[in-house]
Amino acid sequence: MADRLRWRVALLFAGLAAGLFGALGAGLALAYQRLGAPELAGAFLEAGLLAGFAIAGLVVWAWLVFDTHGARAIEALAANLRAHAQSDLDGELEIGRAQQLGDLGPAAAAVVDRLASTRGALDDAVARETTRLSTEKGRLEAILSDVPVGVLLCSGAHQLVFYNGQAVDLLSSGTAPGLDRNLFDYLRDGPVRHAHERLVDSGEPDAAADLLCATTGEARVLAGRMRLLEAYDVAGAPGYVLTLRDVTADLDAHAKREQLLAEVFDRVRRPAANLQTVVGVMAESADMPHTERLNAAILEEVSTLVHAINELGARYDEGRTDWWPLSQTRSTDLMDGLRARLESAGVVLAIEDPGLILRCDGFELVALLSELCAHVASREGCDDLCLRLIEEDGPGAAFELSWAGPPMPMGDFEEWLAAPLDVGVTGVTGRSVLFNHGTEAWPEPLGDGRSAIRVPIREARRAVRRPPPITRSVVYDFDLLAKQQVGAVADTPLADLTYVVFDSETTGLDTARDEIVQLAAVRVVNCRVVRGEQMDTLVDPGRPIPAGSTQVHGITDQMVQGAPDPADTVARFHRFAAGAVLIAHNAPFDMAFLQRHAAAQGAGFDNPVLDTVLLSAVVFGRQETHSLDALSTRLGITIPEEARHTALGDTIATAQAFLKLLPMLQARGIVTFGDVLAEVRRHGRLLEDLNS
Amino acid sequence: MAEGGSGKSILVIEDEDNIAIALDYLLTREGYRHERMATGAGAVDRVRELHPDLVLLDVMLPEVSGYEICQAVRMEPDLADVKILMMTARGSAMERRKGLAMGADGFVSKPFELAELRAEVCRLLDPEPSTDG
Repeated sequence: MADRLRWRVALLFAGLAAGLFGALGAGLALAYQRLGAPELAGAFLEAGLLAGFAIAGLVVWAWLVFDTHGARAIEALAANLRAHAQSDLDGELEIGRAQQLGDLGPAAAAVVDRLASTRGALDDAVARETTRLSTEKGRLEAILSDVPVGVLLCSGAHQLVFYNGQAVDLLSSGTAPGLDRNLFDYLRDGPVRHAHERLVDSGEPDAAADLLCATTGEARVLAGRMRLLEAYDVAGAPGYVLTLRDVTADLDAHAKREQLLAEVFDRVRRPAANLQTVVGVMAESADMPHTERLNAAILEEVSTLVHAINELGARYDEGRTDWWPLSQTRSTDLMDGLRARLESAGVVLAIEDPGLILRCDGFELVALLSELCAHVASREGCDDLCLRLIEEDGPGAAFELSWAGPPMPMGDFEEWLAAPLDVGVTGVTGRSVLFNHGTEAWPEPLGDGRSAIRVPIREARRAVRRPPPITRSVVYDFDLLAKQQVGAVADTPLADLTYVVFDSETTGLDTARDEIVQLAAVRVVNCRVVRGEQMDTLVDPGRPIPAGSTQVHGITDQMVQGAPDPADTVARFHRFAAGAVLIAHNAPFDMAFLQRHAAAQGAGFDNPVLDTVLLSAVVFGRQETHSLDALSTRLGITIPEEARHTALGDTIATAQAFLKLLPMLQARGIVTFGDVLAEVRRHGRLLEDLNS
Repeated sequence: MAEGGSGKSILVIEDEDNIAIALDYLLTREGYRHERMATGAGAVDRVRELHPDLVLLDVMLPEVSGYEICQAVRMEPDLADVKILMMTARGSAMERRKGLAMGADGFVSKPFELAELRAEVCRLLDPEPSTDG
């Protein structure tokens, strides 16, 4: 549009020049005719050429002045006005060249100023309400993120609209879940589709369907419950909430117990039946001398029975606690809990803890140990209490509660174990806690006047450094429930596409030989950068990073030690970006690195690609500077200094720039991806377009 | 107390009559002097009186458990030379460990084969390898 103005001005001046040439020619021709002096023809021609050159020069000069100080100034002013009008820019209007336009520039600045103040007042009101709502939203998110099962919300087309942290744990196998991705990228579809169809067919809004499904990657078995959502019916079928929990271990333990039970019947039934027959024959033949063969048969069957029972009993004992929900608990946490509980009861206890991870119910175990400590401390002649956690040969450990004094009488000890524990639940005794942990406890003498109570724990291992806490958050966009699934990318409105915006830092500018040292990406779904769906990794390029490159991005050889190599990183990015339109600032540069590695792995990137350099040229004209810094400044995006020239910082800036350019493109009638490609190609004569 | 030829004495503390009958036959045939108690009550006093060479002690007894009897016997220095062989139908590895930790000298799980019991009794009463078959 801006180019059209300049063309019109040029045409106007061309027309003016043509008119002047015409008028000059006509005047000279008339004068020559009136004079009737052929000898003056040369003089007339000379005067005509001189005047023509003068007119041409003056017209070109006037056109240049008008183009530079008029058309271009109007163009720049219009672009700035559009930026303020369409992308919520704050701050004063940059008048620049428009100063040449008299009062037009200040007038435009006044309009922008007024617009900004109106927006400011509106923003304040919206901000107050937003703060209130976001506080409530934060509370709800905190509650949902702590729900101990995976929660998913899907559209009727099975696209993810909401998921919590537990769902990430359950579904992640190579690729973490992402908004607007298809659920069947993570779960085998049969049981889910069947449950969904059943619920839809039932026509009952409150009905729920239980299902058992498996993940596509590691084939974990998940038990789920599905319930339909009301009100959203855009895709022809209602969306649904799916809650999931991992039952792989439960099913495994259950299957083992079932197998054991079947073996018990099988291996006991046969010798029992044989014994019954042999003994029956002997009983009915009391008058006959027992033959050696009958005795041998009895002994053999009894031996078989004894072996079967003992071996099956040992296996039962081995797997007895597998079904019980015991968790991996740090002994330091247990000891802290125990110490706090005993201090409040006035019991002094020395603790020796090597720092192990125990498979146990920490709450029950602390209750049992504190009860035992309190009992021992209350006995006459029992002093100097000490609780040691001792590593044992094999997979176990043992708590040893010792004291200076006589051993605990077994009768008293059994009475303590039979008494209810103070855990707020009826029916929990020391004996039941031991049973649930598949263990025993007993008093024993230690020598040197000391005695002890020993409580073995079946599974323990050395604790390693505590891993950083996993960020538990919920990720959602409920607007996706109302989103139509469109087939061809070219026909899809820009606002409906899913984007992956990315940036890389490299060892240098040679795309054929240099390597990636950092790669970052964010997902943009429904015109929002999805919080929690990002990739940000250092990459070991397998070669020294030149000092000049380090000066730009600050990444040193030391920083990339132990980081994944470029091939693994690109493969991970490939999975992260599946199904999305890729966006980068100066995309050909970054894409060259990605394509090189992807091609080496036999998996090229066939994603559509957008380049924010080209989009900027479409919106602001080719004559502007389109660096990320310049574009960010123009669009009012602030990149923190520490984030500048980091892959993630530049990625976020690029994503924000794209989201601000989007309404400007739409205002120019560029609505679909196909529209943007056509426009980019018109502007991209000097720039590379990656969508072949 | 039934007497046998070996001269060694065994106190059997077992509440199940059928197994007690079988043990009676076995120990008599093996030549041990033996006596049976059908309950844990008063068992420690009886051990003190008889001072047997071996106590064959069931874990699950009415009134007083086998573990309690085992602990009480082991608390008396005068009875330190009395061997204790525990028997239980709950023969988990943890039970065995508990029995041995409480001072038992041996532990057999029910059901057991006679050869296994005989071998354990021999091991505790006659450390030298038996030659009488």
